[in-house]
Amino acid sequence: MSTTTPFLIKSIHLLHKISITSNNFFKASSLSISTPIPSARSSSAITWSRQNLVLHIGGGGGGGGGMLYCSNYSSSAGEVRAADYLKLSDQELMRQCEMDTFKASGPGGQHRNKRESAVRIKHLPTGVIAQAVEDRSQHMNRASALARLRTQLALKVRNKVDLDSYSPPLELLRILPPASTIRGSECGPQIGPKNPKFVLGMQALLDLIFSVEGSVSEAAKLLGLSTGALSRLILSDDSLRMAVNELRASKGMKPLK
Amino acid sequence: MKLSSSLFSVPGIRTLRANLRRPISSSPKVSLPSAIKLKTPIFLRPLQFSASLSDLKKWHKWAKGMALSVGSTFVDLDNGPDSTLLFRELNWFMEDSIEDHSLISQLGVQNNPENVRLRASLDELYTLWKQRIEERRPFQYIVGCEHWRDLVLSVQEGVLIPRPETEFIVDLVEDALSSNGELAEGLWADLGTGSGAIAIGIGRILGASGRVIATDLSPVAVAVASFNVQRYGLQGMIEVREGSWFEPLKDVEGKLAGIVSNPPYIPSDDISGLQAEVGRHEPRLALDGGISGMNDLLHIINGAASKLKPKGFFAFETNGQKQCKFLKDYMESSYPGIFCNFNIVSDFAGVERFVTGFRQ
Repeated sequence: MSTTTPFLIKSIHLLHKISITSNNFFKASSLSISTPIPSARSSSAITWSRQNLVLHIGGGGGGGGGMLYCSNYSSSAGEVRAADYLKLSDQELMRQCEMDTFKASGPGGQHRNKRESAVRIKHLPTGVIAQAVEDRSQHMNRASALARLRTQLALKVRNKVDLDSYSPPLELLRILPPASTIRGSECGPQIGPKNPKFVLGMQALLDLIFSVEGSVSEAAKLLGLSTGALSRLILSDDSLRMAVNELRASKGMKPLK
Repeated sequence: MKLSSSLFSVPGIRTLRANLRRPISSSPKVSLPSAIKLKTPIFLRPLQFSASLSDLKKWHKWAKGMALSVGSTFVDLDNGPDSTLLFRELNWFMEDSIEDHSLISQLGVQNNPENVRLRASLDELYTLWKQRIEERRPFQYIVGCEHWRDLVLSVQEGVLIPRPETEFIVDLVEDALSSNGELAEGLWADLGTGSGAIAIGIGRILGASGRVIATDLSPVAVAVASFNVQRYGLQGMIEVREGSWFEPLKDVEGKLAGIVSNPPYIPSDDISGLQAEVGRHEPRLALDGGISGMNDLLHIINGAASKLKPKGFFAFETNGQKQCKFLKDYMESSYPGIFCNFNIVSDFAGVERFVTGFRQ
């Protein structure tokens, strides 16, 4: 467990210098709270408004506004395994995020009938962002954005893997095809890309593929699969395929097709 | 508590007639059972119409042209919708009306000879979209529903379209429930329930013995709210009563575990400048809060002092920062030692929107 520092692949640059200790996290999030909310002057302009989702947690504590924050989230001292983000409940994950929404001009509320319910969620420890605009309610946009955030976290946040003593985690075994020689019957039926639990396995698979520097045949050996079978698994999900191919391109390897 | 039985028939028929019966326990005034014509939202209607794919594509092209011609006219006029927003609404309109709306985007390489099945006739689709653009009839009245949180609520003229800001009241209640579990088993009131949105949102997070009474002065709102309650199978938990604010709640003095409300809060002088969708089409009764905008909020606060039981929770939606501050100050100075733990909470757009707190 000593080689599990989360790190971000190079194309993701936001906040990647912040090591994830409760203290630093507190600083980062206080910063976001004090960011003034931009307001639109012109009647047609739309800007983003920021708020931290934990503001209302512990309601009834008096003193409205943004300062209730940090004490609700301070238990994660030390290093956090990136994979653990995906194991958080929606509410726990949201607590690590700030949410931006379209802020339209004017007083809003009863004054207004416009479905501009876009939601953008930024995961503060990693800077990973996801958004949703197409749903018809604020609530559903939030849920869609959060689901997308999980995918983005799986795609963009890497854990180092110790190849010498590698044994795939259960989440990864679950997304492997039954042909895998190391997949026991306790894994249950194969989980496909449409299942929300797929992202957990996808993250572990990407961790492995990054550790073997993009070599599908190397990874396949460690997973008890043929190279072809692992390729098919990678190609079964667009975002997974793109992440693997981006890595392979950076190493001068041919893309999987 | 006796819950009024609902007399709705199965949804799916074009219009529903609801006989409104006042529950025995409510106000002494007896009104004759009135018949309110409920409109069935398009998405709940049967697929009883059809059109050829080419006719439908013709309609779609026409509708897009209508939306495009709006440009930023409405934005400049009264901060109404622009073409982009209308395109999105058009997609939702098709989602609700057409069995397989993806057919439209498949630019017909192969000529599909089959007809497309519809929940409204092609003529009606033309008429409705024309109303949307030319009369600025709200999109939600066109399709007869609004997506709110994870609910799809029936709405029609005479009932306020629930706003996305208001979705947050349910989260505020959820927080209150987690701070005091007893509240989840208590009796709640949603005053001026309109479509029943908040009452239903809360009904779904209360415990097994939790109950909600939703009141509204408007018989149309009472009918629509009852329909929505029924559709979510909550008629055993939520009772809709007709009457003004606390008037139908005389039997629950000091018994309420929580009071929530999104009452009219727009100052009367602002009504004439409202976005056409709102000012021309939504019920003034649900919008106009008098000169200051706070007539109803103040009335509700005064009532809440005696209706809430100790440790009971309240959450009220307001017009913004000024009203929030005024109402908090008012509660502190006029009811010293009665209310406590005030919070002013911002909506998703950063506007201070809600006042919450507890009864001592």
